Amino acid sequence: MHFLPDIGLATLGIQLLVGLSRAMILFIVSAGMSLILGVLRIPNVAHGSLYMIGAFLAFSVASFFGGSTGFWLALILAPLAVALISLIAERGIFCHLYEREHLMLLLFTFSLMLVFGDLVKLTWGGAFRSVTVPSIFSGSLPVFGLPVPRYNLFLLVIGPIIAIGLWLLMSKTRIGKISRAAAVDREMVGAVGINVSWVFAIAFVIGCYLAGLGGALVAPTVNIALGMDHTIIIEAFLIVIIGGLGNMWGALCGALIFGVTQSFGVLLWPQFAIVFPYAAVIIVLLLRPSGLLKSVW
Amino acid sequence: MKDKAMLKSIVLVVVMLVTVLALIPSCAAPPPLGRPIKVGIVDTYSGGPTSYTNDVRDAFKLAIDEANKKGILGTTIEFTTRDDKFKPDLALSGAKELVMSEKVDILMGTINSASALAVSDYAKTEKIPFIDTFAKDETITGKLGHRYVFSVTENTAMAGKAIGAYLAKQPYVKYWIAGDDYAYGHAIADASWRNLTSLKPAVQLLGQSWWKVGEPDLTPYITAMLAAKPDAAIIATGAADCVPFLKAAKATGFNEKVPFFMHTATEQGTIAPLGLDAPEGVWGTSNYHFYYPDTAENKAFVKAFQDAYNRFPGAGALYGYIAANFIAKAVEKAGTMDTEKFIDALEGLKVDSPVGEVEMRAYDHQAILPIFMGVTKKVPEYNFLIATNIVTIPGKDLMPTIDEIKAARGVK
Amino acid sequence: MPKKWIINLRSFWWQIAILVVLFILPFIVSSFYVYVLALIFVTALLAMSLNLVLGYGGVYQFHHAVFYGVGAYAVALMLTKTSLPAWIGFIAGPIVAAIVGLLIGWLCVRLTRLYFGMLQIALGSLVWAIVFRWYNFTGGDNGICGIPLPSLLSSLNGAYYFILIILLICLIVMYLIVNSPFGSTLQATRDNPGRCAAVGVNVRRHQLIGIIIATFFAGVAGVLFVVLERSVFPDLLFWVLSLEILIMCLLGGWFTFMGPVLGAAITVALRTFVGIYTEYWTLILGVMLMLLIFFLPQGLVGYLQEKFRRRIKVSTKRT
Repeated sequence: MHFLPDIGLATLGIQLLVGLSRAMILFIVSAGMSLILGVLRIPNVAHGSLYMIGAFLAFSVASFFGGSTGFWLALILAPLAVALISLIAERGIFCHLYEREHLMLLLFTFSLMLVFGDLVKLTWGGAFRSVTVPSIFSGSLPVFGLPVPRYNLFLLVIGPIIAIGLWLLMSKTRIGKISRAAAVDREMVGAVGINVSWVFAIAFVIGCYLAGLGGALVAPTVNIALGMDHTIIIEAFLIVIIGGLGNMWGALCGALIFGVTQSFGVLLWPQFAIVFPYAAVIIVLLLRPSGLLKSVW
Repeated sequence: MKDKAMLKSIVLVVVMLVTVLALIPSCAAPPPLGRPIKVGIVDTYSGGPTSYTNDVRDAFKLAIDEANKKGILGTTIEFTTRDDKFKPDLALSGAKELVMSEKVDILMGTINSASALAVSDYAKTEKIPFIDTFAKDETITGKLGHRYVFSVTENTAMAGKAIGAYLAKQPYVKYWIAGDDYAYGHAIADASWRNLTSLKPAVQLLGQSWWKVGEPDLTPYITAMLAAKPDAAIIATGAADCVPFLKAAKATGFNEKVPFFMHTATEQGTIAPLGLDAPEGVWGTSNYHFYYPDTAENKAFVKAFQDAYNRFPGAGALYGYIAANFIAKAVEKAGTMDTEKFIDALEGLKVDSPVGEVEMRAYDHQAILPIFMGVTKKVPEYNFLIATNIVTIPGKDLMPTIDEIKAARGVK
Repeated sequence: MPKKWIINLRSFWWQIAILVVLFILPFIVSSFYVYVLALIFVTALLAMSLNLVLGYGGVYQFHHAVFYGVGAYAVALMLTKTSLPAWIGFIAGPIVAAIVGLLIGWLCVRLTRLYFGMLQIALGSLVWAIVFRWYNFTGGDNGICGIPLPSLLSSLNGAYYFILIILLICLIVMYLIVNSPFGSTLQATRDNPGRCAAVGVNVRRHQLIGIIIATFFAGVAGVLFVVLERSVFPDLLFWVLSLEILIMCLLGGWFTFMGPVLGAAITVALRTFVGIYTEYWTLILGVMLMLLIFFLPQGLVGYLQEKFRRRIKVSTKRT
């Protein structure tokens, strides 16, 4: 066990900021998963694959256009492409499976994850990919006297913007309200005369768009490699569970807990940093098995 | 209903098994001599390590194509590869399949030190020669070395000596060690620190951080390191994380705040994928640079590699090349592909290479390779960084002594 | 009158025939097939152990691989770090797995269905994370290799026979358990927990006992893995393996006794033989699974059962 000789407030502050920025990515991906889980009742194991595809697509777009413009274009185009892929998957495959048991859906999306994983390998090859941080975000800013990478600060700003955007979408727009209604009682929504099938499709596509967006946003900070899907999906899954199934604010809470505990874990006990978030999840689940906030199930 | 179900299940199981067994013809006893020499390569062909392992495979192919033109004992060398995805369990099952199903004569691989140790252990039980082509953990030919394992790459004992000697000359006192939490990471860190403290006892270790292999987000580890304010750092990353760490170092500005040493940082496989985004001023060591030394053999090798594959060769190419030459020469010297005679012929064998003559030391089966130490820098000729101020350290100055090997293996 | 089966597999002679074939196999096929078959046996036992609670108990055991890995690591650590005789390690493995199963099961069993599964994933991931990162004790990412075994088991054929015998014993014990009063009650709790509770059956306790038994057998499978591979890796506890085992039960049909064996055999055979021809075997496996789930929700054996049932009806009508 290694404690730093003097963990000052500055160090804690820095780790908190870094943890929060990581939590933003987790939130974006988990919110998408939560939406799909809430409205469609599908535990989408392939969500992580879409995140990974988002990152790889961001790489392709960014390297095609080059420079900082490449990055911004990637941020716009990659999630849209992922949304398109998900639309095809939904209309082609998923809409026939809604009647099946959850376990079947889970295993089906698991097979989809296997397929996507190899498709990514076929398309992009096995090597690492790298997306450059756009020049305005490169380097670090001193906060409390210690450097914080500027890109992480950008994530800290963009995360809440997306959260607010999602909240507005779900509570103020018509499609958002219908989706929330469908999450609670799909039969009623159908009885009122709304085409539930299309509601599902839209919710699914929005959820997957968020996965792709998360992947594109995370691309400059991590090594884009095969296996990204495995790590993110278990994290997103646990976050959605502790937040409350289908609850977007719950996903935010869960993501904050996860990101911050991991960051502090790195500070206090780097070797077992990964254990801290899992322990936090277990504590929450033991105290409140249905999640921190209200779930729609 | 239960009886019928059980009945059907058993029928299906048996039918399935029989079909499976019938699909591929049952292999007979090992074929006699006069057939091609089969080499099985288990290596990582997914993820970060591919920038290194592709070099090994491609240079190996180049070299054996060359050797096959003349023929080796009237026959040719063939090879097949298996991807272990940087996981020891897949490496082990790949090796088993190559030996039992493909009936290879020689095993080669792999870049993951833990995988190499697992395959080496298997090679020992099966009595098949295993040539380590990139894994650098010193225990492979040291403590856990045996008759059936050979290494054509430098190892952490050698690199540690070079790094310790270099760092001892620097003015830094407070160090931080960080790296990948697996066999190689710990081995290179221990070797470097061991040598450094023996030469300069005044150095202090402020702390260590170990992350899992393939950790996607290194930022929190780097910020924690920066907060500790070390004078310098030793970064013990392996094939999966060298590139991501350098990228994160540049993005967070770590390389400007804290000077650090990373073994293999100056290798082509590490530095080229980052292009002009790679950090400058990083100290690194490597077994091979395509631009140094500027000898005729090196130039010829680089040209041949470039013509065939349209890219510059990295250190992996050196390893693949000398592995092929060792195999070809040893088979010819032994006059047969009998394993024991092959091993006897390989011990003490010398081959030519782009870095000069390389000897396979007989006692521990470790190839004696020079190490080149340098600092990364941008230059106008290339769109990737190269190593400058290169210092060459000959292999024989770095090899552990035979007594040290004996002590490690517990042999008198 | 129903058509007489051409091969009545309940017949004593057919069972003997299959056993004889399995026992003389090492002498007629190459070692590679012996190895693959032994691997199928280990995986089959693992899949069967999951089906004890999943198929017969209706428990959403989403992270079964943890108990398999714990059993394997327990025996690996005992054989490498202590000088106790091997058979103590072999017994310790399943017992440790069952203890972990009791702990995790007790924490999870107060929840139902999906929540049970999700808490188990969280707990299981915690165990995985500890094993994965505790480098000095468990070897972390490297795992442990070169585990010493008693000389009888260190050859491939020796390991094959040991695994085959243990598998047969376990299958017989599992069959007895499933057909015992406990087994019937367990299936009742799966089908109608409310009614069971009303009749006075302690549903949770039955589920917990089922979990302990299942995790015990998973631990046995873990020990057999070590006997075959002489190494352990943290991937044995990873959630991907847990889902793969679920798929094996699904593939073979989880309402049948031997169904998971078929699922395990198909998965292992696919992975091994397709893997020889292409590195994209995961893609092929994934596509096959998607097709199977899409078109055969009752699993392969369930589907065939349906076909045979229809044939019986037809032949009955004729007479």
